[in-house]
Amino acid sequence: MLRLVLKQTMAHRGRLLLTFAAITLGVTFVVGTLVLTDTSRKVFDDQFRDASTEVDIVVRDAVAFDAAMGVEVERDPLDPQLAARAATLPGVDQAIPVVKGTGLLITDGKAIVPAGPSMLSSWTGVDGFTLRDGRAPGDADQVVIDAATATAHDITVGDTVRVQADREADLRVVGLVGFGESDGLPDTTVALTSLPTAQRLLRLGDGISQIDVIAADGTATSGVTEDLRAALGADVDVEASQDTAAASAAAAKSQLGFITGALLALAGAALVIGAFLIANTFSVLVTQRTRELAVMRAAGATGRQVMTSILGEATVLGIAGALAGTGAGLVAATGLRSLLDAAGATVPDGPTVLSARTLIVALAVGIGVTLIAAFGAARRAARISPVMAMREGALGTAGGRGRIRAAVGVTFTAVGVAALSVGGAAESMPALGAGTAALVAGMVALAPMVAPAVVNLIGRGLSAITGRSVPAGLAREAARRAPRRTGATVMALALSLALVVFVSVVGASVRAALQSGFDEAITAELVVESARGEMLGGLGPTTLKTIEDLDEVGTVSPLRFGHWKDSGATRALTALDPTTIDDVTDVDMVEGSLTDLRDGVVITERQATERGLTVGDTLGMTFARTGTVKVPVVGLIDDDDAKALSTDYLVSLASYRDWFTERVDASLLVRPSSGTSVHDARLALEDALEGMPTVEVRDQASAAEARTASLDGILTLITAVLMLTVLIAMLGITNTLALSIIERTRELGLLRAVGMTRRQLRTMIRTESLLIAVAGLLVGTTIGVATSALFVRGIAQGGDLHLRVPTTGLVLVGAVALVVGTVGGLAPARRAARLEVLTAIRE
Amino acid sequence: MTNLLNDTPGTADTHSVAAPTKPVAVRARGLVKTYGTGPAAVQALDGADLDIHTGTFTGIMGPSGSGKSTLMHALAGLDVLDAGRVLIGDTDLTNLGERQRTLLRRDRFGFVFQSFNLLPALTAQENITLPLDLAGRRPDPEWMARLVDTLGLGQRLQHRPSELSGGQQQRVAVARALVTRPEIVFADEPTGNLDTRHGQALLRFLRDACDDLGQTIVMVTHDPLAAAHADRVVLLTDGRVIEEIADPTASAIADRMLQLDTEADDRPYTAASSTDTHPEG
Repeated sequence: MLRLVLKQTMAHRGRLLLTFAAITLGVTFVVGTLVLTDTSRKVFDDQFRDASTEVDIVVRDAVAFDAAMGVEVERDPLDPQLAARAATLPGVDQAIPVVKGTGLLITDGKAIVPAGPSMLSSWTGVDGFTLRDGRAPGDADQVVIDAATATAHDITVGDTVRVQADREADLRVVGLVGFGESDGLPDTTVALTSLPTAQRLLRLGDGISQIDVIAADGTATSGVTEDLRAALGADVDVEASQDTAAASAAAAKSQLGFITGALLALAGAALVIGAFLIANTFSVLVTQRTRELAVMRAAGATGRQVMTSILGEATVLGIAGALAGTGAGLVAATGLRSLLDAAGATVPDGPTVLSARTLIVALAVGIGVTLIAAFGAARRAARISPVMAMREGALGTAGGRGRIRAAVGVTFTAVGVAALSVGGAAESMPALGAGTAALVAGMVALAPMVAPAVVNLIGRGLSAITGRSVPAGLAREAARRAPRRTGATVMALALSLALVVFVSVVGASVRAALQSGFDEAITAELVVESARGEMLGGLGPTTLKTIEDLDEVGTVSPLRFGHWKDSGATRALTALDPTTIDDVTDVDMVEGSLTDLRDGVVITERQATERGLTVGDTLGMTFARTGTVKVPVVGLIDDDDAKALSTDYLVSLASYRDWFTERVDASLLVRPSSGTSVHDARLALEDALEGMPTVEVRDQASAAEARTASLDGILTLITAVLMLTVLIAMLGITNTLALSIIERTRELGLLRAVGMTRRQLRTMIRTESLLIAVAGLLVGTTIGVATSALFVRGIAQGGDLHLRVPTTGLVLVGAVALVVGTVGGLAPARRAARLEVLTAIRE
Repeated sequence: MTNLLNDTPGTADTHSVAAPTKPVAVRARGLVKTYGTGPAAVQALDGADLDIHTGTFTGIMGPSGSGKSTLMHALAGLDVLDAGRVLIGDTDLTNLGERQRTLLRRDRFGFVFQSFNLLPALTAQENITLPLDLAGRRPDPEWMARLVDTLGLGQRLQHRPSELSGGQQQRVAVARALVTRPEIVFADEPTGNLDTRHGQALLRFLRDACDDLGQTIVMVTHDPLAAAHADRVVLLTDGRVIEEIADPTASAIADRMLQLDTEADDRPYTAASSTDTHPEG
């Protein structure tokens, strides 16, 4: 049996080629995603483990939570006396005071801006960095940098670099370090100085970030940890370095989770669309082999055996596709990384990790999808009766089983639409997922009925415009005659285009909502922000100091962001300066005022309604630095105006200083001094900030644009990746037409014999391809707009989110469909035209 | 179907014998065609000569592998020759490109094949007018009506091939072959898939088309009964025309064929006479 299956698969390998390609592409995507994230995870794990191997215990300021939204919270500096005290404990071999922070490297007047952090730290010799060249930093004017950065920017020992933190200084490079096996940390610049230099640059006074403790030989770490806790008091965290490393790695990796999820969802879409292609192929193969299978049945094969043989072929194909996809996935991981990079989501690179889990998933996905897709055809094959071996002609594909199929289709579609609208309203991902699945299932069931009708309609429309033409008429007929095949082909393209439309519509709607009201609420003419798009913004305290005293600046009002925990959930808040906020914003308050904001919190009207709070009530907010604080609600702000300030919770900068250690500004809202033009003020700002390459001066419009920059990046990424599914759908068209040409060889031969020219034949096949593509476009756009409308209405919940259907996006989708229709038909048309008339007639 | 088209103007004589005085519609000289290369090569045509006269009904016969289908395909511009010339009127077929041969088939030839004559997606009417539609021309309604009427297809025009009997399907094919008023109709085993009654009816129709319209017809067949409807039968062996039988009868043809088969069996094995790698229509 196995030999028969292998033989059959090989015999049809030409016809299975595109199917193989579809499976391979889908698996490639899955494997690429897994390899990419595994690799990045391992980088994080290694990095934090290497950093902690020599250190046994880490002492830091205590916080209520370690990280929020993948960003580790900043901790208050420790009293250096604690390090001295720790060192005296029995069982402690060394207690090394450490300073950690951010410091930009500037060489030859040009800042080195890595995709990741710019690390500035004190030299400890035990944190995983090892000297590759030169020596450790000793004097105040010495620095050691990582070898990777040195190589990339042509820096050698003896050169001078500028390190810019809260203060800046020119330091002499006295050594180069590597990290573990590698020349540095991925996407990171490293600057290591003596402890006092780091303290001075970071304006820490004599404060330290943490104490790295090395236990004496033969001492149990747990015991030392207990002793340290007892000796240093409750204000500090004493933890095994393995645990802190694991926690840091987990925080870093949590950002990968979102990327993995998004990419896997897209890979799933690619697989679903590939499944249509696979199903079509097997359906055609079974039809073409009806007589052969009937002979097998007549020779004594049971229906079950016939089914097994078809599923066996599917398995062989699935395994082949999975293996090829795994190979290609290793390459694709690099491509995905570049795509993510371009979209502004950097994931660290390291030695490629191909885990056993990835291999198993690849095989399971490859075989599973192929088997499921081939199941319908296999079942049909099992029902072929031996009598069919004797029957002449009429082996056409049967249509769907009418009413049952229609009922199932309509039911699933209705359930899908309902689940999508309910799921959207409840922001419930399971409901949305189930809704999508039901909708897809419904459309698949309806496809053989809907698609040919749509094709026919378009065909009629076309001939109404161009006049009756035999090739076009025949193309329409051909598409109509195999409703299941046409349906699956149309639906594959429709779904991929629907996804593109969905992303485009939801993206445009969210984008509009994010930008809406910004120009009304923010009256500041100029906004100073970091160009790097850090989660909390990235303007160090120097930025504000640099510009606040400029003559051209009338008012400058900083905004800061912070994360807090709301019984488990992470929320963001905005801190503002009540004394200046009125000069740079114009917001509608429902109750209270921003200028009076001191110790309380102003929340949006919607939050107040949802939480049942009014002014005078208190809101429990948990901050990493302080733990839970009962904060009085002192005002209510209009929902839309709060959006211009980015969050639903507004506090004063003074409160922020109490609750947060972070000292970075997200935006500086600037109003020029009276008599200074915006243009002059801008020039003055740019001039003053010239030494800070990551700081950008924006006018109101570009500031509004910048608010959606990361969203735009993600949307572009998703759309780019979705083009892969469109590509698979296009392969589907090519596949369907190629298979149908094989099936229609005699028909084509007859046409050629009675006088159809090659050109007419090509036109016929290309028209068929185009008809399918346009039908896919119509159905896909309809599904896409409808689902995104449901979704947007769901998540809007009375907020300021309105459906925006982007014209350019839709035009683009239309253009893509036309390209797909044109390109998809090229190869089959050429192949059909090449058919020798005689060979075709004789077949 | 017996009183066929006899009111057609311009058809003077009835039941004419292949008269050498009639103009030549097709002149074929020294046709050579080899399929494959090396030891597997099959010499399908090996210097065949043939004249087809206008308004005659010619049957082409021969043992399996004798090259009869290849000969017809060569005459009809469906196949490209290795050597030799085919003249259709003044047109040298062998000089024509692919596209010109296609247009020639469309405008000047009609075809009836053994099976799969019709496009399943088109109605009978659409199948009939297919060559005209491909050329972007409208059918002559009078001529169309007469064909439909004579062939008894009036009630069947809107049916698809799957809704027609085998005999009806072949009649639709004949109508299509005649709809362009072609110079020559090529029929390749047109009755091969029909029972005797329907087969005979179709052949009588072809006979009448020749007699009443002066339609030139070339038919490949292996059935002596079918060939007996022709004005003359051309016998092929090993890719050459070896003999012609004028005014053939079924028994005369059958005797001669039997003789040829016996001779073939007596000959040593050759690729041309005994291989079946070369498919016969």
